[in-house]
Amino acid sequence: MKTAAMTAPPGAVSHKKISLAKLKPYLFMLPAVALIGFWVYKPLCQTLGLAGYKWSMVPGTTPEFVGLQNFTKLFSNKDFWPAVKNTLFYTLGLLPFSIVLPLFIAAATQTVRGRAQKVYRALFFVPMIMAPVAVSVIFQWLLHPTNGLVNKLLIDLGIIEQGIAFFSNETFSRLMILLITGWKMIGFSTLMFSAAISGVNREYYESAKLDGASNIRQFFTITLPLLSPTVMLMVMMSVLFASQWTFAYIDVLSQGGPYGSSTNIYYMMYKFGFSDMNVGLSAAAAALFFIVFGLIALVMMRLSKKYAFYDN
Amino acid sequence: MKKIFAKRAAAALLAGTLALSVFTGCGDSKETGGNTGSELDPENPTKVTFYSYSLTYPSMKPGMEHLIQEFNDTVGKEKGVIVEGVPDANMSKYKSDIQAGQQVDIVQHGWNSLDDSKENMGIKAYEDVFPKDELEEHFSGMEQNAVKLGQIDGKTYGLAFTFSTPILYINGTLFEQAGLDPNDPPKTWDEVLAAAKQIKEKTGKDGFGLSPQNGWVTEGVIFSNGGSMLNSDRTKATFASKEGVEAISKWKEFFTSGVAALGTDSEVSQAFMAGNVGMHIQSTSLLSGILSSAEAGGWKVYGAAMPSFGEKTPAPVNSGSCLAVRPDSDLKAKAIWEFIKYVTGDEGYTIITSEIGYLPLRTYLADDEKYLKSFVDENPLVRVNIDQLKNVKPVTIWPAGTATECFTIFTDAITRSLTTDADVEETLKEAQSQIDKILAQQ
Repeated sequence: MKTAAMTAPPGAVSHKKISLAKLKPYLFMLPAVALIGFWVYKPLCQTLGLAGYKWSMVPGTTPEFVGLQNFTKLFSNKDFWPAVKNTLFYTLGLLPFSIVLPLFIAAATQTVRGRAQKVYRALFFVPMIMAPVAVSVIFQWLLHPTNGLVNKLLIDLGIIEQGIAFFSNETFSRLMILLITGWKMIGFSTLMFSAAISGVNREYYESAKLDGASNIRQFFTITLPLLSPTVMLMVMMSVLFASQWTFAYIDVLSQGGPYGSSTNIYYMMYKFGFSDMNVGLSAAAAALFFIVFGLIALVMMRLSKKYAFYDN
Repeated sequence: MKKIFAKRAAAALLAGTLALSVFTGCGDSKETGGNTGSELDPENPTKVTFYSYSLTYPSMKPGMEHLIQEFNDTVGKEKGVIVEGVPDANMSKYKSDIQAGQQVDIVQHGWNSLDDSKENMGIKAYEDVFPKDELEEHFSGMEQNAVKLGQIDGKTYGLAFTFSTPILYINGTLFEQAGLDPNDPPKTWDEVLAAAKQIKEKTGKDGFGLSPQNGWVTEGVIFSNGGSMLNSDRTKATFASKEGVEAISKWKEFFTSGVAALGTDSEVSQAFMAGNVGMHIQSTSLLSGILSSAEAGGWKVYGAAMPSFGEKTPAPVNSGSCLAVRPDSDLKAKAIWEFIKYVTGDEGYTIITSEIGYLPLRTYLADDEKYLKSFVDENPLVRVNIDQLKNVKPVTIWPAGTATECFTIFTDAITRSLTTDADVEETLKEAQSQIDKILAQQ
């Protein structure tokens, strides 16, 4: 084949060839575009469409068109507004775990050298790679109202008299799910920040030291501004994914309870779709939050452009 | 050049479409075994999937696995049927697998959403898919009350399978430490409350455990006081009646006086099994688990019937499951019928009762030396359960399309009434009107 192509006369370069050459980059993109279209945009459009139907998704049944009824049903559901509030609670509550703590841990372990640094980072990263369901079960044991280690400790220390049922208590249920999610998140963010800090030019620190700047001053005037692109990225990830990261813990530990007080919008969507068998309602909730979170993402991207500082 | 380019482009396209087809291909696989005829063939066995929630509970799993294995090794091998058990926690996997077009043949199904599944999940009536004469013969040996529970509009959509009533488990050691006699168990709710207080005072452990999120016992508490859940034509909820509120208020006293074990249903059971709770109302399905943990912990299990309100006869609801079927061919129907006959037959119930703890719905087995007599004699708790069978009320079957939503509202209201300062009557009334609104939309 190759020889045949090589022996072709040079005069064969024609219009056709040029247009094909123009087409070439697009053809290379085609598989990727097709995959994204099929896996991302097609389901997205389908979801928007389904929001107007009542359907159980069971093969052999036909969707029944109900117009905007799913949205009115959604707004009148007793768990809807608590779920919205909880989504906000989890989103904001996760920020200290995904930004503040990891930033300090990364900065503090930066000066640790050699093997110790690896051990430190591994310690923080291990929670991240553990299976969420296994983590949930371990926390379930630790936090058990009568048999759990945490309650035993609190009682022995005289802090409480009767064990707390963490996942049957409105105040604690949400808080514990947040803490567990946060505990798992720290590792990932720490890794991202550590990598970013490694990229900062050491000369800045050296000259700052010569000028007599303290460690804390160095952190705030050198590290933080230079990390701002990474910080913005992590804030965006944390805000957009907080609801998804809490999902497994809600499902295993509280099933959204007690009385719906720890559910969030993602867990609600799942319940609508796969427990109530009402895909339309689930799609309506999904469509609503696609719009809300889409707007949030846009705003954050603007902010990121405005505030992130790039060291060239 | 042209050719090379064309070839490369074609390869790229091919790779893309290949990747697509590989991904999309996953959802469509339908395994029905190699047999394509209409008669069962031992040489070419038919595969049947059985979605079972019992496979997800540590206390029930070994028994249920044994039941399936025993079938596969005997009748299944002889007739050419292989049953594959699929663990289905929370009874939700069968739904999503049906949605995904997977093969779901037999479902260990709850009672309260049976009507829903009949409408939405393609559940078939036994009368429509199984041989009529065999069906009648098979049903005749079973407890008729139980068989009737799974019938809607005169047809059987679920055959009673694992069946139990809630009983009052007692930790004998804690009872004795508190100066109580486990052989003379409390009979009324007032007596249970008094005993629970005594246990808390003398031993420091929680006296009584019944989780607000227990899934089914709550209805029995309301029924026992003469209350009801729904009106007769299932158009209005009725649990916030005077009797209902009274029953829940009595139960709440355990929480307000600080003698109730807190937590979810599984947490309360874990606490009881660890020897940290004096009394526990729970399904007999956990009997084997409770017996073995008591043995490990060095204490003895006693049992009593569900407590009553004063002189009223207690009316426990049945828990457990029925078998719902979705055969997609005549051959499959034959294979499924073999499994159903076996597991709800004499051998099946012997395994179910002695290894899991559910009731033998063929009660004659309890007096048959060949089957369960020796087991029942050794475990008088099973008798308590069989005796309660005559008072059993069916668990509420919510109208199709509303089951999960209504049941969630009900359970959430009960949890809120019991575990917070909320007023019982107000909370239940509010939940009742929410449910009425949903029922009215149907």
